[in-house]
Amino acid sequence: METLQLLALGFEQALTPQALLFCFVGVSLGTFIGVLPGIGSLTTIALCLPLTFHLEPLLGLIMLAGIFYGAQYGSSTASILLNVPGSAPAAITCLDGYPLARQGRAGVALFITTITSFIGGSFAIILLIFFAPVLAKFAISFSAADYFSIMILALTAASTLSVGSPVKGLAMVTLGLLMGLVGTDINSGQFRFTFGLPALSDGINLVALAMGLFGVAEILNNLASGKAPEPLKEKISFKQMLPTRDDLKAMRFSCLRGSAIGSFIGMLPGTGPTIATFMAYAGEKRLSRHPEKFGQGAIEGISAPEAANNASVQAAFIPTLTLGVPGDAIMAVMLGGLLIHGITPGPQLVTTDAALFWGVVASFWIGNVILLILNLPMIGLWVWLLRIPYHFLFPAVLFLICIGVYSVNNNSVDVLLTLGFGIMGFFMNRFGFPSAPLLLGFVLGPLIEENFRRALVLSDSRLSTFIERPVSLVFLLLTCALLIYSFSRRASAADESDTRVNP
Amino acid sequence: MIKPYTLILGLALGCLLTACGSDTSSTQADASSFPSKPIRIVIPFGPGGRADVTMRLAGEPLGESLGQRLIMENRPGAGGVAATTTMLNADADGYTLIVLTNGTSIAETLFTDLPYQVTEDLVPITAVAWFDLVLMANPDAGYNTLQELLAARGDNLRIATINPGSTQNLTAELFTSLASVNATIIPYRTTPDVLGALLRGEVDLAIDAYTALKGAIDNNQAKALAVTGEVRNPAMPEVPTALESGIENFVVTGWNALYAKAGTDPAIIDRLHDEVEAVLATQDIRDRFMELGVEARATSPEDMQARLMADIDKWRQVIEAAGIDTL
Repeated sequence: METLQLLALGFEQALTPQALLFCFVGVSLGTFIGVLPGIGSLTTIALCLPLTFHLEPLLGLIMLAGIFYGAQYGSSTASILLNVPGSAPAAITCLDGYPLARQGRAGVALFITTITSFIGGSFAIILLIFFAPVLAKFAISFSAADYFSIMILALTAASTLSVGSPVKGLAMVTLGLLMGLVGTDINSGQFRFTFGLPALSDGINLVALAMGLFGVAEILNNLASGKAPEPLKEKISFKQMLPTRDDLKAMRFSCLRGSAIGSFIGMLPGTGPTIATFMAYAGEKRLSRHPEKFGQGAIEGISAPEAANNASVQAAFIPTLTLGVPGDAIMAVMLGGLLIHGITPGPQLVTTDAALFWGVVASFWIGNVILLILNLPMIGLWVWLLRIPYHFLFPAVLFLICIGVYSVNNNSVDVLLTLGFGIMGFFMNRFGFPSAPLLLGFVLGPLIEENFRRALVLSDSRLSTFIERPVSLVFLLLTCALLIYSFSRRASAADESDTRVNP
Repeated sequence: MIKPYTLILGLALGCLLTACGSDTSSTQADASSFPSKPIRIVIPFGPGGRADVTMRLAGEPLGESLGQRLIMENRPGAGGVAATTTMLNADADGYTLIVLTNGTSIAETLFTDLPYQVTEDLVPITAVAWFDLVLMANPDAGYNTLQELLAARGDNLRIATINPGSTQNLTAELFTSLASVNATIIPYRTTPDVLGALLRGEVDLAIDAYTALKGAIDNNQAKALAVTGEVRNPAMPEVPTALESGIENFVVTGWNALYAKAGTDPAIIDRLHDEVEAVLATQDIRDRFMELGVEARATSPEDMQARLMADIDKWRQVIEAAGIDTL
């Protein structure tokens, strides 16, 4: 009951005209930069940080946080419409979002992603309200061995990400893992695979890789095929944008599962939303009775990752606010913003600065409602965008990708890398090598290696540490179960249809 | 049908924009009218860190007193190489400045083929911020002093720091050699990871700057056993220095300083020095820096250079003694 009283206090704080205004500004800005390919919330938040020096801490935090989660709403828009993700986590939404758009169902897809984003965000906010301290303690208790086992499960689940030849999928995961090793080895401080280029010493930029493989490659594909997809001619009525009953049925549980996976991954410091969305997609495909529909425009293929995306960014606030342990660079910037005002997030924040803590939490939910209201009417506008002839649209998109990638590190080498990855992605598409497993391998590789080695250092080089820690053991067992399940299913599927040809 | 030229147009626009970042238009450097356009400050870190936030904080009043906006440009990566290269591609006119840190003095030894020499290619304006590092234990472990910890765990001490080659990591190396303890230094990717390791109790000691760990210390999640400064940290005067705790010669003070390109008109350097010094002396900035656990203090260019040289020597010895492979 006390929680509800405090929450009421929070809403009191977050519903003042000023707070509403800053929340609105934050989420609108967030949606906007989310739609633009490559430009991420980190850059935007860093630019806005000095503004908050002069604001009340609550207002500043409401705005910065709004940018952060607002960006997740927008990031799938370009994935669906153009097959160009707005951010790395939204790359997975391309797989089914874009086919839906090609079927003339862009409106439905956008409707679904907006709704599931809202559900995912709300799910994590509810966790934050009622269980934050407990969950934060749980999340922080995960040690290197536990991380390793979770990531191994993620990697195993990822094998479903590929459509077509499993060997090619495996090859791409491996390539991704190798590419993830580029840069400075965290354990020894030595450079690996940098070829003497200072630009590579901090590794390959995730945004450059995602934008290249998914964005630039798509544009090159269209260019090479000689004919762009036809711009949409007919007007789409509002009714056509509404999901059918079947769509909603497909969305229902997949978005809850996505929310759960996203919340779990999101509250583990150091993981990030890309792993959450890819895991959610892989999970849905595993569970589905029609895995062959994935990649052809499956509703589950967009609803689960989108819910996971928003859940993970909201859940990232759990360790940040309650323990003062920010999960990623964006959270660290926000913590910096609070420190400037002399506020130190941590276990005591909830009691010493109750108004601030609950005000921010309440504003999250208000922000999500604003985003819902803001984004639903925009669907028509976005779909209308598809009527722009592609010879205007693609150069503009390419231009935006260049700006976006550049803005991450202010590094022009990243722009060249993006174009290089675009060419690589183009040939991968040509020869049927899937991009998604590569991207996941790239994200997971460094985490797996780093945590494996750290776990061994911490356990004085005993491999048994991976089965002695309960969390680690559970995830390793899950991995085994998953492997056995998929082998048995593959065997039975092969019996049923040995005549079926791979697409 | 997409025409190839439209694509080329897009590319060209992209390249043009990138090129704008490295504007080389030569504005005549004239000390009397300086500054007549915004000043760019290259920060060798991503946004949100100590060097970034302190520079942004000081940047506002500094911009007002100079009558021009200061534009912060984050160029993280490669131990400051990316930022310094950017800096050296600009003109020596005082319109592009760089923030150097203690890490710069480490990089001099750690990187064997740097495309520049900081002591030759850059000239100091002033120091901006000073800070010490904190040695912290998990309060549940029950150690109240550094000696207690060393007595109990000195034969197998586990220390968490961020990546090898960082000030924190080399400070841990220096500590283990000066305190003559047998230690494993475990590198983590970020400061929050270091804090997480301490909260879990998987390490005995964590070493990092006060700024990032203020929250943990205030909340009693981490117990500060000692600070590495010459004197106690005014933000937590009850915590002794490592010197007081009996670790002889163990002093590490980090700094952020503002540098210009060599060849910049001395009159411009003087002007910038005086303005920064005035801003750093204001109570508002001193207080705001103090919130971050950082001391706002300017130095003369000569003192700054002497400090840089001394630190290059100091860290060279640490790197050699610890047997760290250079890059």
